[in-house]
Amino acid sequence: MTATLDATESLQQITQEESRPRAASWPRYIARKGGGALISLGMVVLLGFFAFRILPGDPAISMTRGRRVSAEQVDQLRKEFGLDQPLIIQFFHFVGGLFRGDLGTSYTFHRPVAELIGSHIGATLLLTGTAAVLSIILGLWLGQRAAWKRGSLFDKTQTGLALIFWSVPTFWLGLILLLLFGGFLQWFPTGGLVTPGSNETGIALVWDVIRHLVLPVVTMVAVVYAQYLMVMRASLLEEMTADYLTTARAKGLKEDLVRRRHAVPNALLPTVTLIFLTLGGLVGGAVTVETVFSWPGLGYLTFQALSAPDLPLLQGTFVVFSSIVIIMNFAADLVYRVLDPRLKAS
Amino acid sequence: MTAVTVRSKRSIAAARRRDRAVEVWREFARNRGGLVGLAILLVVILLAICAPLIAPATLLDVTKVDGLPNQAPTWQYPLGTDPAGRSVLLLLLWGSRISLLVGFSATIVSMVIGTLVGMSAGHFRGVGQAIILRVIDFFLVVPSLVLAIVLSTVLSRGAITIIIAIGLTSWAGTARLVRSQTLTIESRPYIERSWALGAGNAHILGKHVLPAVLPLVLAHTTLTVGSAIIAESTLSFLGLGDPTTVSWGTMLKSALDTGAATAGFWWYVLPPGIAIVLVVLCFTLVGRAFEAVINPTLRGR
Amino acid sequence: MPRLVFDDVRISYTTRDDAAGRGLVTAVDGVSLVLEPGSTLGLAGESGCGKSTLALSVLRLLPANATVTGQILLGDDDVTTMSFGRLRAVRWTEAAVVFQGAMHSLNPVQKVSDQIEEALKLHSLASYPDRAARLKRVRELLTLVDLPVVKASSYPHELSGGQKQRIMIAMALACDPELIIADEPTTALDVIVQAQVLDVLTGLVRDRGLSLIMISHDLSVLAATCERICVMQAGRIVEEGPSLRVMTAPEHPHTRALAAAFPLIGDPASRRSLPGYTAPDAPTAAPSETVTEPGDVVLEVRDLSVEFASRGQRVKAVDHVNLAFRQGEIVALVGQSGSGKTTLARTILGLEEPTSGAVLYEGAPLSHRRKALKEYRRHVQFVLQDPTASLNPKHTVYEAVAEGPRLHKLPGNERDIVATALEQAELTPPEKYFNAIPQELSGGQRQRVVIAGALALSPTFLVADEPVASLDASVRGEILALLLRLKNELGLGALVITHDLGLAWNIADRVVVMKQGEIVEQGSVEEVLLNPQHEYTRKLLSVVPSAQAASGQDFVGA
Repeated sequence: MTATLDATESLQQITQEESRPRAASWPRYIARKGGGALISLGMVVLLGFFAFRILPGDPAISMTRGRRVSAEQVDQLRKEFGLDQPLIIQFFHFVGGLFRGDLGTSYTFHRPVAELIGSHIGATLLLTGTAAVLSIILGLWLGQRAAWKRGSLFDKTQTGLALIFWSVPTFWLGLILLLLFGGFLQWFPTGGLVTPGSNETGIALVWDVIRHLVLPVVTMVAVVYAQYLMVMRASLLEEMTADYLTTARAKGLKEDLVRRRHAVPNALLPTVTLIFLTLGGLVGGAVTVETVFSWPGLGYLTFQALSAPDLPLLQGTFVVFSSIVIIMNFAADLVYRVLDPRLKAS
Repeated sequence: MTAVTVRSKRSIAAARRRDRAVEVWREFARNRGGLVGLAILLVVILLAICAPLIAPATLLDVTKVDGLPNQAPTWQYPLGTDPAGRSVLLLLLWGSRISLLVGFSATIVSMVIGTLVGMSAGHFRGVGQAIILRVIDFFLVVPSLVLAIVLSTVLSRGAITIIIAIGLTSWAGTARLVRSQTLTIESRPYIERSWALGAGNAHILGKHVLPAVLPLVLAHTTLTVGSAIIAESTLSFLGLGDPTTVSWGTMLKSALDTGAATAGFWWYVLPPGIAIVLVVLCFTLVGRAFEAVINPTLRGR
Repeated sequence: MPRLVFDDVRISYTTRDDAAGRGLVTAVDGVSLVLEPGSTLGLAGESGCGKSTLALSVLRLLPANATVTGQILLGDDDVTTMSFGRLRAVRWTEAAVVFQGAMHSLNPVQKVSDQIEEALKLHSLASYPDRAARLKRVRELLTLVDLPVVKASSYPHELSGGQKQRIMIAMALACDPELIIADEPTTALDVIVQAQVLDVLTGLVRDRGLSLIMISHDLSVLAATCERICVMQAGRIVEEGPSLRVMTAPEHPHTRALAAAFPLIGDPASRRSLPGYTAPDAPTAAPSETVTEPGDVVLEVRDLSVEFASRGQRVKAVDHVNLAFRQGEIVALVGQSGSGKTTLARTILGLEEPTSGAVLYEGAPLSHRRKALKEYRRHVQFVLQDPTASLNPKHTVYEAVAEGPRLHKLPGNERDIVATALEQAELTPPEKYFNAIPQELSGGQRQRVVIAGALALSPTFLVADEPVASLDASVRGEILALLLRLKNELGLGALVITHDLGLAWNIADRVVVMKQGEIVEQGSVEEVLLNPQHEYTRKLLSVVPSAQAASGQDFVGA
């Protein structure tokens, strides 16, 4: 069945493909976004593998940098990690291993990388998950309030604070908090997931973890909420010039309701997209925060890997971290479609 | 016909450029934050450039030091000393050179790659575009710090490596911005007119798209320098910087390594961080002020 | 039923003027007007004349930086001094606004029934206490505006322009107001849809005895719906009176200029004749010796089809079209949006590739290769709709006009070429404009620069896509006169794409009517417009002002 369409319309459609939401049925949408996610995952695997092999520097030499090793030991290392075989064979081993869940063996820990990652991922998810939820709630609420009270003292202070926090390196903030609350005031423990040597269970364990969680989470939230605040604020400010708000006012709606019922829901849509797009940054923050607070998560593992340098472990954490973010983005695409009626095919 | 004095085309164009520059400055100056930021930045950059004149590099030589390690601030050492006995103030001054240099260089790399890729992604159609888009999306999604860590590990440690690592992981943001701007510009009728007049790709990109995209890129770049400086300090902090050179990040790494934080040596932990916050904040303010000049809808933000 | 009175109303905006600091812009400058209950008034004028500002001030819907002095009496209450509470109660129950719904006046993420219900929940809880009652009312309202009830659960983006407009009308009537303010209700709509929407609106106003203020820049729309018309210019009322009189015998020069933009089809006075220029072959011109007849066929379209893939479907924009254009003739291609006329124009210009069929220039089909196409572009040039967007805002007039000659490396002194082109476009002395940038020029001047840019290549044929649609009504005549003059003095033929049949009557030799990608009728202007054969053409003609209709039947205020 053909329809008719004017050229300018279609040209504009094509050029604004990215920015304008395109309506599609669920299966199509999932196929399109899921396909994109799979391609990205594929690229992660490729990059993860080749970054260590193709870039200048023999991996075996990189691994033994700064150490006194003999030529035979380096050769031995090469054989152990299969680095003496042709690149393609190595790649297939790698991919095959991925499907089996085998990410190689850590050089420093002498345990399978997959096992190391498995045992550390929970802590990272706890930290980043808590931080993400808190930052989103805080950032969005403050942001929409600042936008509505634009120019007021509240707005100016919030924007100012957000700009400052945006400029703070996460790890340094962690150091400061550690210094102040951990070292100086001794209100909170200075690192780790649980108090070393204690064998708590149940509520006592939960409480212990929470006590250890406070400083790292505060550090992450402080830096991340600022970004969400600014995005929400900008989004709402732009939405407030929309015509349909005049229609709402003309109907006799109070300003407060005009904002809450009409402006904010529309402003949330681009904000949600941007939030998910910055998830990668949250992950990066995890690496530094976990390092400062010795939080036993993937980030700390990455730090330990790069210090060695433990290439298989580094490779594994890179692949896992990237995959998490790609999957989260895919989830975000699904959530967005539920929220925005313009994406639903009629 | 009345005698009309026609000034040469060039002098009119020059006059118009000058007027525009004055206009840009005036609008920029309206933003107090931007002005303050710019002033502070100029001072910092000046100090960084003149560092060798103010305090010769020999003062940083660990073997020639006469201060006591980890001393609290005194009149002689206003910010105390580091674990090796060097003046923290001096370290701060010299550290600024690396931090700023790496920040600027990485930003330039990121900006050039981002602009070229972004324009291509916005201009060309077909399979090429689909591939470029995938690549941009990929670099946007991959956690940049982790990727930078990977890159820095395999290349030899040092400033160049960090510049490359940051440049390669942060270009995607610029590319996305440039692409969306290119799409907007190319949907404008005057581009159609150019095609109809007989223009080719080079003409469209060079004469219409690039001049329109540049101001936006410049404003965005200012903001990117800030995040590049933070990235540099983070990578140095994690141990990927050159251990022989001093930057604000390596100072903080050393602080962590020597337990300065838990021991309470605040004079070693605070100043580098405050310096970073200050410089990045200034870049952010200047960048936002500049953005407001270019995009009038952002004024009075 | 309230009486609406404007008493010496002055409205000004404080703006943040970039160059000079704070500035004061006067939008309405001392307007006094009375609207008796049950009567209909049209506010006409060009953009920026203050008509919207005046109308929106009735419900105090102006932005925060507007200052209103004078009195606006709605019944006995002065709107300007009302408390917020009373104002909110008055809004929608005594007076309601029908905004231009085709734009963004509806919340994109809410269903339309929810948006109508919102008004009911605010004001009419007594009459519609629960959800069921309100939904019933929503269905009633949709039936009133001739919309199928099932559309109530749609989102705005799922509705067409005309449907959205009718939702706006339904929403306005929700709380039974006594005054309706319609702000450009039909501006972005096709003439046919426009007629439908106006029918609905005027029917409702008449049946319920409502007062109506309608704002439009289109005098013919106002004449068809309002008893009286008030023309505004620069914040003041320059003419007021019964609509038929204002439309057919305007007194004020500004009104005359506005009325001239809507020529009566069939009226010999406006055939090939515009204020400022009358063609030698116009019925009203003095008989002259030579009238150039159109020459040979220079451009031809054979069995042309253009298809797109859009949203997974094949969209047929142009469907097996056959056309021939002669040297020195002006052909008007008339159609509504979605008819494919712009696609056809762009394909003729080589900006779009045909799916099948060919475009032939001087007998030879157009090549797809860039180089050969470039040669063709010397001969057939393009004038776009929006002159402001058609020029790079940072390039000077000189650069814009020289762009073509530079691209083709035309021989000769570039400066002379540019100067000649500007003179042909009636921008004299050309040197004065060399260094101007678009924002320093008026809309009409910008369009002349675009035309000059095309003329610089000495083309034989011009393709103009809605060349005057974005211009103010008073400037429309100038540009059309220019096109006519270029035809008669330079022998420049043109394909003018438009939705406006009046334009065809003004300047075209032949007219081609297009609908959904197909040509439904073509022939000389006199044949097609005065004696239309196809039903679609008849329908188009029925909704535009013509000499026959002006005899009083179609105008409300006769």
